[in-house]
Amino acid sequence: MPNSERGSKASDEELMEAYVNGDDAAFRALFERYAPILLRLTRRHLRNDELAEEIVQQTFFRLHGARNDFRPGSKLRPWIMTIAMNLVREHWRRTKRRKMTSIEVDTQAAPEADLMPLELRQRSELLHVALEKLPTSQREVVELHWFQERPYAEVAQIIGTSEGAVRVRAHRAYATLKQLLVLEIRGDE
Amino acid sequence: MTSVNNRPEDDLAERLRELDVADVDARSERMEHLFTGIKAECQKSDRTVAGFLRSRSTMARRLIVLGVFSALAITGWYLFPIVGDHARTIQWTTSLVTFCVLLLAAMIMVTRPVHLPELPRWQSVCLVCVALGATVLAAFWPYPAAQAATHGHDGSVMAGACMGVGILLGVPVYALLRLVDRGNAFGSLVAAAAAGLAGNFVLKAHCSVPGTSHELLGHASVAVLFVLGLGLVHRWMPSH
Repeated sequence: MPNSERGSKASDEELMEAYVNGDDAAFRALFERYAPILLRLTRRHLRNDELAEEIVQQTFFRLHGARNDFRPGSKLRPWIMTIAMNLVREHWRRTKRRKMTSIEVDTQAAPEADLMPLELRQRSELLHVALEKLPTSQREVVELHWFQERPYAEVAQIIGTSEGAVRVRAHRAYATLKQLLVLEIRGDE
Repeated sequence: MTSVNNRPEDDLAERLRELDVADVDARSERMEHLFTGIKAECQKSDRTVAGFLRSRSTMARRLIVLGVFSALAITGWYLFPIVGDHARTIQWTTSLVTFCVLLLAAMIMVTRPVHLPELPRWQSVCLVCVALGATVLAAFWPYPAAQAATHGHDGSVMAGACMGVGILLGVPVYALLRLVDRGNAFGSLVAAAAAGLAGNFVLKAHCSVPGTSHELLGHASVAVLFVLGLGLVHRWMPSH
């Protein structure tokens, strides 16, 4: 397929520049490249498929609206990640304010849980619970540093803080996660 | 691959890797459905005035807002009589300059690009509080009472008229800022404060009714009403 072929060869920035110049196929290529990454990111944060998809849609919608701000030489990945993280934060803020307990109930079910083997499902559930116990600021860092494999400098750029602060948050988050997982496993036994 | 330093490489790493694998779900029909939805939303947005304005570059959006503000200010300044020379005190000038600076700050906040990390909430709240404070403070530097006899206005009666004019003038400012806002958190609240500031700027420049009570009831109330009315109501309504 020409789109896939082109999408696999061109860099993010080339695709974005093509899209800014009116090439719709480049937008599709960017979507195919980033939507799965963003879905994983949002689902880990929200644990709700519908919400995660809505946030991914909003991320691309905002990317479309902001396309004329893209300058040659800029990196696209931090752009997309920042938009998505801003939306996730905004969601949490609104949810907290409105005390939407119904959503909290919905999020108890892990996505695709039935498709996983029982042991993996339990392990995944424990880790999800541990991640949810982290403060949002630390969870964001784990998400970007571990799951998205971004260096500290880029994580700092995405969440709008200093590299030092990111390092501290990551250190605390990994330490807390280890502690929580040990406690969860003991409790499970 | 980007170099990533200090990632945990032990049993925690193994668990995190499992979670990453467990969460992969990129079925093509679901993705196609998602993409169709996004394309439809983008196309729908492109056909609207708001969509057109929001998709301009940040520099262009700021210039549009500044252009409209300047056009309104210059038209108003020359079409309607401003306060007499005797009332153009240092305090009067300071009030107008403060309103302008705060209006500019609000415009910069509202037009902030969405690909940058959002500003801490306290900054937006702080701007709104300072804006409200400035309008209240300006009311304590009213039009000189010595000139009251020459006008014969009843301050409290005229307060209603001033409030109406101020609100009327603030609405287009609020609308314009909402039109160029790409969805910043607290954007509506900041735009409401800006609308109140714009109303106060015009009233301060043109209104010659003396008295602090008049300015509190007729001028400062405009900003308060905008923030409480438009800003908070809009903020608490469910988002699209």
